[in-house]
Amino acid sequence: MKKIMHPIEPEELMAYLDGELAGDRATATANHLGECAECQALVAELRSVSHSLKTWKVEPPELETPPAIATALAENRPESRQVFRAHRRSWREALGQRWPAVAWAGTIAAVLLVAFGISTFQSRLADSVSSPPRESVFLVAPETPEAKPVGGGGGGDRDKIEMSARLQQPPPVKFKATEQHQSAEGGGLIASGPMIIRTAQLSLITKEFDKARSNLEAILKRHRGYLGELKAGGSTGSGRTLTATLRVPADQLDATLTEVKTLGRVESESQSGQDVTSQYVDLQARLSNARNTEQRLTDLLRNRTGKLSDVLEVEQALDRVRGEIEQMEAERKNMSNQVSYATLNATIAEDYKAQLQVVPPSTSTRLSNAAVEGYRSMADGVVSLALFLLSNGPSLLLWGALLFLPARFVWKKVRRSFAS
Amino acid sequence: MISDEALMLEFRGGSHPAFEQLFARYRGPLYGFFRRRLNGDQRAEDLTQETFVAVIRASARYEERALFRTYLYSIAMNLLAAERRKQFRDSPPGEIAPEPMTNQAPDAALWIGQALEKLDDSEREILMLREYEQLSYAEIAELMKLPVNTVRSRLFRSRMALKEYLEPAQRVSRAAAADEKTESAKLTRAEGEAI
Repeated sequence: MKKIMHPIEPEELMAYLDGELAGDRATATANHLGECAECQALVAELRSVSHSLKTWKVEPPELETPPAIATALAENRPESRQVFRAHRRSWREALGQRWPAVAWAGTIAAVLLVAFGISTFQSRLADSVSSPPRESVFLVAPETPEAKPVGGGGGGDRDKIEMSARLQQPPPVKFKATEQHQSAEGGGLIASGPMIIRTAQLSLITKEFDKARSNLEAILKRHRGYLGELKAGGSTGSGRTLTATLRVPADQLDATLTEVKTLGRVESESQSGQDVTSQYVDLQARLSNARNTEQRLTDLLRNRTGKLSDVLEVEQALDRVRGEIEQMEAERKNMSNQVSYATLNATIAEDYKAQLQVVPPSTSTRLSNAAVEGYRSMADGVVSLALFLLSNGPSLLLWGALLFLPARFVWKKVRRSFAS
Repeated sequence: MISDEALMLEFRGGSHPAFEQLFARYRGPLYGFFRRRLNGDQRAEDLTQETFVAVIRASARYEERALFRTYLYSIAMNLLAAERRKQFRDSPPGEIAPEPMTNQAPDAALWIGQALEKLDDSEREILMLREYEQLSYAEIAELMKLPVNTVRSRLFRSRMALKEYLEPAQRVSRAAAADEKTESAKLTRAEGEAI
């Protein structure tokens, strides 16, 4: 089958049949299906598989509510409810006939407390408008649950459970405020908006290299950025270069770029942005799932008693989940850091001018150089003579000794013949 | 119709009729879940009951944001895994624990069961959760702890593979049906002639 020719993947066709394809794609698939015989055949095959599977029917035995379930239902008294009911009974016993009057008094007290709570909340809210966000964190959460149990003096079990659930959860106001605070620290990162990792490259040529370096540091300081990496180098006969990785708050990137450009002549510039919103959201979801799993496993460890091997298995699973959570947490932090701080890779090169050497070396330098040269050649001569003598001396002596007598004899004969 | 989640919350609040409604809704599907995956009616019925008992006992810890169906089937899958481990432990060494159904199963169950057995474990589970339990891709992904795209591709693969496995069996069963028909036709004809 030529799958490449189809605008719709076979898997999408299947998802369409299962009702798992979203709006636009579903319409496109329906249109394509109307005109493509090959896809129609695939759909027919998929339907026939489902149809075949459906022929395997299983009928549950006809029974009323099984006794095991009836017993479990009868025993189902969550601990919190039992404790609450026990309390209620003991209060009633203690208060005897005056219970209704006490209940009324309790209700009135609750209403007064709630009213007091609201007025305090409003006044604190008014204060918090002028104070920094960090102080507004604990505004709402503590009051609400405190007011509830008194008000619910005669109330049902459900209130109690809901209240305890609310107590366990972090107060929403606190969470939001903290997040905003973090976002302020992270340089204007908005959790609900798109998350983009920004990167820029800049290549400059400057005549005043030393000045450029100090200016670069000043620019960084002004924009609350920091230096990720810095390398400077160069060799005689060519210009120096400086390569720096700057990290600046994302919202300061444009301003920083503009200022860095004033340091020299721009040779090349590029900017890129990578959208990581979906990755971030996905990570958050996986993180919260893993946290739920961890919670469930912890509950399981706390509430269930089983075989040692089962307990060990749960503990191993818990360790694994905790490891995953830590890893994802680190990934999330790294991602937020990358988003809140943009990266600017700057390369600054020196505009190099070759210079002529116009001043000749001084006479004294030349004299000292000549003396050094003379001494060096003399020393070299002595050393090479010594070396020659040491290496060839013995053979010279031998040949001298051997040739001395014949040479002397010849010499004497020659002198005698000249004399005669 | 009241949603499963609302019923579960009502039950958490102490309403027994809410639980009875949930029981009525899921008793059949859950029984089917176990029956198709295990050998023996009674064991399937026991595990169905155990699942509901677990739901009752853990009702206080039920979180509102969880889909009841996923929650229920995750309990069922844990019980199923425990049951399979137990069967594996109890079976004598060298003998493979009996896989799904087959005993006294009707024809359809037999040949579909045999075809399903040929699939890879994870693919079979995904296919069965989709076809029999009617779970969405996202629900299956959550239950199996897999990405949704993986669920989708495995589901496609398993359906294509199953088609291949079912075809020969289908041919055989159709041939058998055809034989039966001709036999009965012959018999009627013979009877007619005798009369």
